[in-house]
Amino acid sequence: MGAAFDSISFKASLCDGCGDCMTACSTAKQGASRISIVPGAKAGTFETAICRQCGDPKCVQVCPSGALDKDGGNGVVGWDASKCVDCLLCTAGCAYGGIAVDETVARVAKCDQCDGDPACVKVCPTGALEYRKAGTIFNQYGDKEDLFVPGLSGCQGCNSELIMRHAMRKIGRNSVLATPPGCIPGMGSVGYNGKTGTKVPVFHPLLTNTASMLAGIRRYYDRIGRKDIVVMALAGDGGTSDCGFHAVSGAAERGEKVLYVCVDNEGYMNTGMQRSGTTPYGSWTSTTPVGEHMKGKTQDAKNLPLIMTAHKCRYVATASTGYMEDLYEKLDRAVEASFEGFSYLHIYSPCPTGWRVPSSKVIEACRMSVDSNFNPLWEYTNSTGLRFTHSPDNAYPVAEYVKMIGKYRHLSQDQLAHIQAKVDEQVALLKLMAAESPPPLAAHRAPTGSSTPVGAEPTQSARREIARN
Amino acid sequence: MNEITAPTGKVIVCDGNEAAAWGACLSRPDMVAVYPITPQSSLVEYLAQFIADGRMDADLMDVEGEHTVLSVLHGAVLAGARTYSATSAQGLAFMFEPYFRTPGLRLPMVVSLVTRDAVSPTCVWGGQQDAMTVKEVGWIHMYCETQQEILDTIPIAYKVAEHPDVMLPVNVNHDGNYLSYGVARVELPEQSVVDAFLGEKQVNWHACLDPERPMAVDPLTGGAGGVGPSMFVKYRKGLCSGMQTALQVIEDAHADWGKRTGRYWSPLIEEYRMEDAEVALVTIGSMTGAAKDAVDEARADGKKVGLVKIKTFRPFPAARIAQALSKVKAIGVVDRSVNFGWNCGPAFQEVLAALYAHQTARIPMMSFIGGLAGADITVEHFAQVVRRTFRLAGGEAAAGPVWLNEND
Ligand code: SF4
Ligand code: SF4
Repeated sequence: MGAAFDSISFKASLCDGCGDCMTACSTAKQGASRISIVPGAKAGTFETAICRQCGDPKCVQVCPSGALDKDGGNGVVGWDASKCVDCLLCTAGCAYGGIAVDETVARVAKCDQCDGDPACVKVCPTGALEYRKAGTIFNQYGDKEDLFVPGLSGCQGCNSELIMRHAMRKIGRNSVLATPPGCIPGMGSVGYNGKTGTKVPVFHPLLTNTASMLAGIRRYYDRIGRKDIVVMALAGDGGTSDCGFHAVSGAAERGEKVLYVCVDNEGYMNTGMQRSGTTPYGSWTSTTPVGEHMKGKTQDAKNLPLIMTAHKCRYVATASTGYMEDLYEKLDRAVEASFEGFSYLHIYSPCPTGWRVPSSKVIEACRMSVDSNFNPLWEYTNSTGLRFTHSPDNAYPVAEYVKMIGKYRHLSQDQLAHIQAKVDEQVALLKLMAAESPPPLAAHRAPTGSSTPVGAEPTQSARREIARN
Repeated sequence: MNEITAPTGKVIVCDGNEAAAWGACLSRPDMVAVYPITPQSSLVEYLAQFIADGRMDADLMDVEGEHTVLSVLHGAVLAGARTYSATSAQGLAFMFEPYFRTPGLRLPMVVSLVTRDAVSPTCVWGGQQDAMTVKEVGWIHMYCETQQEILDTIPIAYKVAEHPDVMLPVNVNHDGNYLSYGVARVELPEQSVVDAFLGEKQVNWHACLDPERPMAVDPLTGGAGGVGPSMFVKYRKGLCSGMQTALQVIEDAHADWGKRTGRYWSPLIEEYRMEDAEVALVTIGSMTGAAKDAVDEARADGKKVGLVKIKTFRPFPAARIAQALSKVKAIGVVDRSVNFGWNCGPAFQEVLAALYAHQTARIPMMSFIGGLAGADITVEHFAQVVRRTFRLAGGEAAAGPVWLNEND
């Protein structure tokens, strides 16, 4: 698989044609702007012409002098003034009109992304330009094996499938996986009639006993010296917060060395969208319907990750596919912690079918749920306490989040106010916990891809991680 | 808690729970998961102490309830462990969800049931209602009569459970209160004898969790949209045949154990003074001792009575029972539990069905129910059973069940 690089994106719908980017660029580069804003096909719309830093650049192919070259490190197609013979073939070769000409000197003016801090993006008043760094995940994990087969039978746009594929890609083959009843085995993780959807040993525990069963596996593997196997669950919220809770709580209390990932889609979605203990207040579900006398769920959700911190787990964190790098870092730390004690990762997972969200809006819903503090991102360890991994300040009103989700369509102003109050209350509590936690150590935040657990000395398990990958 | 001083190869005096703990200890399980419940509690205390003292090299999992007890053992067995646990009554009920799937997964393990009556009405005393209630799930069920038999039956049970043609879980049952707390002389076999008897631990590679050999355990089978119900049927038939195969394996294992220890227990049924018996009693578990005394007394009075004790209740040794009872004129079956909806005891119904399947003649039978909630079934109760069964043989109509302790 190739590599993806950071790049400048342009959202035409937001561009008002002010041209500030061009001014900023020409100022920064003391010459012609490398970006140009041009009128779109419809009146009042705009398009851009800018170097896309193509993976297989046509300009490089047509350049007779070798003045253009793609940098394998940052992906920028660079221009070497000393080699250039000013034929301007590249400007014609680029299908995107991405290579500008500086008329005053009749030489190529090539976008170099300003060493990762583009002047154009900084000045764009509408946010039409964005500098995207998402490619890092692709580069780090793109070549890793997808441990689920293609064609899992999830609903269209299902966020849980994304979690499954990414989590297992990260964790790798040296693992034993339990997927209790719910959407995940429903997609075929354990399989149907002898065919399986998973490439690692996988089991379909009872809805009620996932944590217990994993504890048994781990204890025996420890006994026979196979301590490097990741013993983990990809479980739903019902089997975790409701009927399986005794098992989760017991395993956490005993410090069983297990990685328990709860994929929280806020209900028993696979069986027809019934409410669970983590279904938020006001949600429409098939057992908390909207009618004359009832308008969705009348109780607040159980805050399961917060409950797990009270078990003094080795590691507890919340995560979201809206913030994948954060999720990946937490997976690293969660895996590492699971070799030492109970490790719990709670991942919010919008269900397009049961929440009445269009598939195309799922990731947006993930982001908004974090950005509105509906699902704040934090992590906890029994030695360092709690810290936010995404600032809870300057959050959007929660109304912004719920308006994109159909299961809240009926909410009254009172219900909305209740939800906002609960969100504020929850954030205040988390802030209190964060304030009372010991200050972070110098190496508190492990760099992406590192396996050093938060607040812990690097141990031999760091080496184990490398060996596993 | 007794101080543990007994080395193997010696004679000790202990109760049935300690005997079971020794049976487990000598079988060298890798993992023991426990949750206490009367009358099983002292059994798990003995195990914990054995492990604390280093006498037993097993991983002890003290967990939050019986549901988890069996669940952690599922995980351990799937990873390749030999496991042991014990429970009773409400504990067994709470364990039922994982209990249900253990034989279907063909997980070889041994769990002692210290049998007890089930609530309600509330009761913490002996009875066999718990074990009898779960007899159809697919576990092998063996009932012990004495403390020594409890100890000896546990290694035998492992040998049966792990036999490649069986691969099924086994419950070794002993009566709560009577055997759990009753004290008797018990011989501890040498560890080397048990080791040689059990040999290498047999792992069920049909269902295992190991990254070296990835496998999906328990995929959804049958129903619409798949290959149809045939795969489910295949699994069910396999379980059935494992159960039937176990009848012979149980006999072989007992014979082997007898050769090594000199103690031969009746593997499926025991026939007592049945040679020329005109009527027969059928018993199960610890009541058999008193029943044998009653038989002896009746014999001394010249009454030709014999007894058949059921040791293995699942798989049910129907042919052997029918054969043993083929010559008698009447049968009295004594149960320590109730078969609701049949107005009789469970063993009564089983014997009735065995006779129908394997005999042409119809032998009159009567159901007796006693010993509920820890009540005594005395020699006098059995004498009453003998008298009533003779009247049955003489042509009097059966009327049952007779509740032995109704007026006690
Ligand atoms: S990134 Fe820099 S060089 Fe490229 S168009 Fe923007 S301002 Fe110009
Ligand atoms: S103008 Fe320069 S960079 Fe462009 S094709 Fe010619 S030589 Fe190459």
